[in-house]
Amino acid sequence: MAHVMTQQAPTADPSPSAPRRPRVWRDTLIGWSFILPNFIGFALFTLIPMSAAFALAFMEWDSYSTPEWVGLENFQKMVGDENFRVALFNTLYYAAGHIPLTLVAALCLALVLNRKLRGVGFFRTAAFFPYITSLVAVAVVFNMLFNPTAGPVNQLLTALGVADPPRWVASTDWVMPTVIVTSVWRDMGYYMVLFLAGLQTIPREYYEAAKVDGANAWQRFWSITLPCLRPTTFFVLVLLTIQSFKILDLIQVMTDGGPGRSTLVLSLLIYREGIREGQFGYSSAIALVLFVIVLAVTVAQFRINERRSAT
Amino acid sequence: MRRQFVKCAAAAAALALAVTACGSSEPAAGGDGGNVTLSVTVWNLAKTPEFKALFDAFEAANPGVKVQPVDILADDYSDKITTMLAGGDKTDVITMKNVIDYSRYSSRGQLTDITDIVKKNDTSKLAGLDSFNVNNTYFAMPYRQDFWLLYYNKGLTDKAGVKFSDGVTWDEYAKYAQQLTQGDGTKKVYGTYHHTWRSVTQAISAAQTGGDQLSGDYTFFTDQYNVALGLQKAGNTLDFGTATAQQADYRTMFETGATAMMPMGTWYISGILEAKEKGESQVDWALAPMPQRPGSTGVTTFGSPTAFAVNKNADDADMAKKFVEFAASKAGAEAITKVGVVPALQTPEITEAYFKLKGMPADELSKKAFTPDKVVLEMPVSEKASDIDTILNEEHQLIMVGDKSPAEGIKSMNDRVKSDVLS
Repeated sequence: MAHVMTQQAPTADPSPSAPRRPRVWRDTLIGWSFILPNFIGFALFTLIPMSAAFALAFMEWDSYSTPEWVGLENFQKMVGDENFRVALFNTLYYAAGHIPLTLVAALCLALVLNRKLRGVGFFRTAAFFPYITSLVAVAVVFNMLFNPTAGPVNQLLTALGVADPPRWVASTDWVMPTVIVTSVWRDMGYYMVLFLAGLQTIPREYYEAAKVDGANAWQRFWSITLPCLRPTTFFVLVLLTIQSFKILDLIQVMTDGGPGRSTLVLSLLIYREGIREGQFGYSSAIALVLFVIVLAVTVAQFRINERRSAT
Repeated sequence: MRRQFVKCAAAAAALALAVTACGSSEPAAGGDGGNVTLSVTVWNLAKTPEFKALFDAFEAANPGVKVQPVDILADDYSDKITTMLAGGDKTDVITMKNVIDYSRYSSRGQLTDITDIVKKNDTSKLAGLDSFNVNNTYFAMPYRQDFWLLYYNKGLTDKAGVKFSDGVTWDEYAKYAQQLTQGDGTKKVYGTYHHTWRSVTQAISAAQTGGDQLSGDYTFFTDQYNVALGLQKAGNTLDFGTATAQQADYRTMFETGATAMMPMGTWYISGILEAKEKGESQVDWALAPMPQRPGSTGVTTFGSPTAFAVNKNADDADMAKKFVEFAASKAGAEAITKVGVVPALQTPEITEAYFKLKGMPADELSKKAFTPDKVVLEMPVSEKASDIDTILNEEHQLIMVGDKSPAEGIKSMNDRVKSDVLS
């Protein structure tokens, strides 16, 4: 398969391989036919719509009249748009909270559940459960837990002697932390599974040798576990970053961007400007910016990872 | 090979586009000779009984005509109609769910001018018709008019000794809310419940002060915010943050007796009637006019009409016009009155018939509440209305959760509407 895919298309190199043409053709055809079903789906539902969206970013279109070419006007509008600035800040805020917390929580869970415990299977399943729970149910339950007056969280805090507990989702200062906590709880099980898989590839001999040399648990973690886990950590980090920047569903159900604009994120703004306001050009321009941001961050992560691996 | 593939891909793409673009307008099924089929767009047919009531009445009045509803999910209604009209769909009658969409479709020339039938009929009693006047031309005629009034739980008000009179002011209303609030924790009964919509505070103050929600100057909201925040601070209403967090349902609040009073639109009447009919609620309810500002004369409230329009591409424009005219007429009004929906045509006989429905309150004040002196449109029609609505809603939330004082919130409404929308 790999051989077929890397094969140069026959029209590109004429004379030297001319006698072998039919064979190469046949190989290429077989190769194409293998990837064609997948590629058609990808092209129809991802590639073409995405390219169209990028083109739309330079147009003005209300889904009704003919699109009109406006050049960089949408981007100029974005610079002056306070909603865009607020949404960009909120997206970064969310990512800055969600990425490290989920990473640490998932790693800790994986370390705990990597031991030989009685009922470890049960606990692993339990930790994975939030991820397969319906998102709407998660949002509703957490909204109830963090209910500012009747919620169990604030009842507990009051019982512990906190006089004026935070108002969580009803407060512009606390709503983002609340959303972050909810999404960490939901996502950590999934990344825990990835970490568990990574942990099981670390040879047991390393630990035994370290123990013989007198390394304590912390030293073993720091010098063996973490370095050996690096490929997994990197993979988790990339997935988490992309997921964090694209956050929409949880916020849509839990707060709908409120109170005010305190949880308005870029994806929500794209949805509002496009679907609700019918400004598909402007909406696509914001989507393009979000795409570039995610791409830049991911490329930077790859670069840093490469440099680290090299040393 | 590569070129061939590109050709194939292009063909596939073109085919896909063609398939998605052409999925519209079914042919008008004639069936047994000479019969006419009239298609009408509706939303949630099963849960919106007024449509079936109207269709049955129209079919009975016009033998040989069959109404074919085109059922659309309520939340997607605007988007779907926009796409249908843009694609040249031939459905005869298009229901105008709100006035903002109406202004879009009419300005794009997608609706038929029906000024002749509007002028032909006596429209002096047809509420909400003005909202459809575009430079003295009409493209739609209202058949239903909802407006806001005050629902109250008679069992609770009687127990607390609160007696509603004609012409309650907002201060008196706040005092009643105080008297009616009792209990604690999950058993607490609130004096009143303001749902989380911005209209509860903003549209009513625009209507009663004469303020313009498109103006970019919102100081006229101040008094109403003071009322709403006062109630909230005193614990006489479920606070906004809690209501949002638990996604409070106003129906549940009222039907379970968790609140004694509730300002709400007339559409909810059919909801209560249904809940009581099914035995889901035992609430003993009645209506009062919306509270007023001190010193005002008459009852002013806000509301919005629903109308039928004729598609420019209608298969049978004449029959469509006939239907629109029928829906706005006395016969149409009587038909929807029977299912508890408030018709646009408001005559004493129709109100009388409405209050004869099983389960309706019978007192004089309820009837009085049903005939306000002035109903102001909830949100004025403008292409900027939707952008302004978003800003007003965001600042409304900030004021209601106590993040901004009314003065600060109103200042940001002024600044944002002026700089983001009006400039």
